[in-house]
Amino acid sequence: MTILVESIGGSIRAGRSRWPVYGALGLALAFAVLASLTLGYRLYGLDQVWLALFAHDGSETATVIAGLRLPRALIAPLAGAALGMAGVMVQTLSRNRIASPDTLGLNAGASVAVVLATVVFGVGSLVGLSLAAAFGALVTSVVVFGVAAGAGGLSPLKIVLVGVTFAGLAHAVVEIVLTSNEAQLQQLLFWLSGAFVDRPISLFFNGLPVVLAGAALAFGLSSALDALQADDATAASLGVPLVAVRGMTFAAVSLLTGAAVSMAGPVAFVGLVVPHAARSLVGLRHRHQLAAAALVGAVYTTLADVAARFVIYPVEAPVGAITAVVGAGTLLWLLRRRLA
Amino acid sequence: MSEQALPRAWSLPGPAGLAVVVVAAVFVLLFLGGVGFGSTWISPDTVLSVLLGGGERTDRLVVLQLRLPRVLAAAIAGGAIAYAGYLLQRITRNELASPGVLGVVDGAALGVVLFLAIFSNESNALTVPVAWQPLAAASGAITAIGLVFLLSGRQASSTIRLILFGIAIAALAKALTTIFMLIGPIYQAAQAARWLAGAVNTINWGEVQIMLAVLVPVGIVAGMAARNLPPADLDDVSARSIGLDLPVYRIFIFLLAALLTAGAVAFAGGVGFVGLIAPHIARLLVGRGRVAGIVVSILLGAIILVGADLLIRVAFAPLEVPAGTVTAIIGAPYFLYLLMRKDNSNG
Repeated sequence: MTILVESIGGSIRAGRSRWPVYGALGLALAFAVLASLTLGYRLYGLDQVWLALFAHDGSETATVIAGLRLPRALIAPLAGAALGMAGVMVQTLSRNRIASPDTLGLNAGASVAVVLATVVFGVGSLVGLSLAAAFGALVTSVVVFGVAAGAGGLSPLKIVLVGVTFAGLAHAVVEIVLTSNEAQLQQLLFWLSGAFVDRPISLFFNGLPVVLAGAALAFGLSSALDALQADDATAASLGVPLVAVRGMTFAAVSLLTGAAVSMAGPVAFVGLVVPHAARSLVGLRHRHQLAAAALVGAVYTTLADVAARFVIYPVEAPVGAITAVVGAGTLLWLLRRRLA
Repeated sequence: MSEQALPRAWSLPGPAGLAVVVVAAVFVLLFLGGVGFGSTWISPDTVLSVLLGGGERTDRLVVLQLRLPRVLAAAIAGGAIAYAGYLLQRITRNELASPGVLGVVDGAALGVVLFLAIFSNESNALTVPVAWQPLAAASGAITAIGLVFLLSGRQASSTIRLILFGIAIAALAKALTTIFMLIGPIYQAAQAARWLAGAVNTINWGEVQIMLAVLVPVGIVAGMAARNLPPADLDDVSARSIGLDLPVYRIFIFLLAALLTAGAVAFAGGVGFVGLIAPHIARLLVGRGRVAGIVVSILLGAIILVGADLLIRVAFAPLEVPAGTVTAIIGAPYFLYLLMRKDNSNG
């Protein structure tokens, strides 16, 4: 299954400036955030948005924009950026292009941790939930990589099977917990399919430092990850401390996935789709892969969040269902292409 | 080859025969316990006498009307999914194959959710007879396995490809199910979520009868078709070289497995991991003989689901936790253990 590892030299675009790419992605992000503020069940003009954000007059329009639209316009890109970067690292770590926080079950692990923390241990604080989510993702990633290593390597088959198994397990645990807490069922069901609706803005300010910490760790590891991309022997000969780098990458992935899940629930397959787009834009250097994945992920989830308001209009679909449809399609396409 | 293999496959050697008897006895005990347990305990001998046509009026009412449909449905659904799992593992010669992994369960569930969404009126009542529900499940299941086959392309005989595409199709079906569930009224969505996790507590006699009417004929046909299953210890190349890897036959077996799964999922919901574990344990118990393998797989599937349902009634009553949650919690670690072993194929 080494065919899933691209040759490193092939797609590095040495010499060509990547700034136009970043510029375009930045513009796309600005456009997506504006769309998220203006489009929805009610349509608002840019002037109304401006007034609501910078000259809040207490009107209903201003309250809706500042209280309902703004949090999701901030949380969606942050969660998307976090999942995109986590996806890049997971794919490098497993040297497998269909790996992602979802196919490895990390989202599921984080979800279980959040549900258990809420319902069983009565954790109410947002900081507590973020920590629980990151802890759940960390435990799952260690178990999954342990299981996969014990299984003699991370073939694509084993990766997706392990992920599916953990997702099934997580679902069962969540179901049991929820059945005994009927009142929270409906709300948590929606949260569990991934959504940016009705999130307090404090979630954003709570998630931001966690994402920044994860991102800082990720960029710090970028040259080590470049070396790790080839194979263990090459990386070791380049003086990369394999165990330490793997451990710190786990930590970065867990922080990013945990932060995203605690803000939005498990938004499916973002970490699978985004790294592919990022690599095709900026090549294989991790410094650039991570930066582009953060931007692409932010744009992607924000636009998916806007789309979620319209697919079954006037009802709002969970954005996770939208990204799951796109992600499953991408998975099918990747499998067709790589295994053909 | 087949002349040599037939007598061995169709005879029950000593230890395997013993295992069949023991498993059957466990099933009977668990079944009687499942019917007997509830707000009032009814002893197994009373249950037995009621089932044979005797017993007091109140006992008859409780056993026949309230408890039997649920336990019977669990047994039938568990048995059918395990049977489907057995067929899939044998035809693909891979112990990781199962109705869940190949997308059949989620496909069937999507079929049912679509059916409920399209044919419900404002008061949440069905506008068509409930007997059509298995047909909806079957359409979904067959569409799913058909897509998996088509996408796998000319190398559909590679099990790894089938499983990878099966998982992708399952993810797609799951996402679509979530969206369609949200279109319906809120409380119906909560009900559907419970059903999707595999719950047998709301099943009534009419639904049990439909399940039997669908599954018994399919099961018999599958039993006849199973005579031509290639020996389990054959590798791909030899199977092809002696002409056992016929595409038409493979498709027929996949179709039968999809129908068995659909018949179970239509009313019992997406019961996880039963179709994966039961055939596997069956092979550990009785080896590779076909009749014993099928019988023990079905019995074990029934045991797992009846046992899971009994367990949640004992542990969580009066809450109705879906039985599928227990099978997933038991099944997932077992599956991880299977994955951890280095060699995952039978051949």
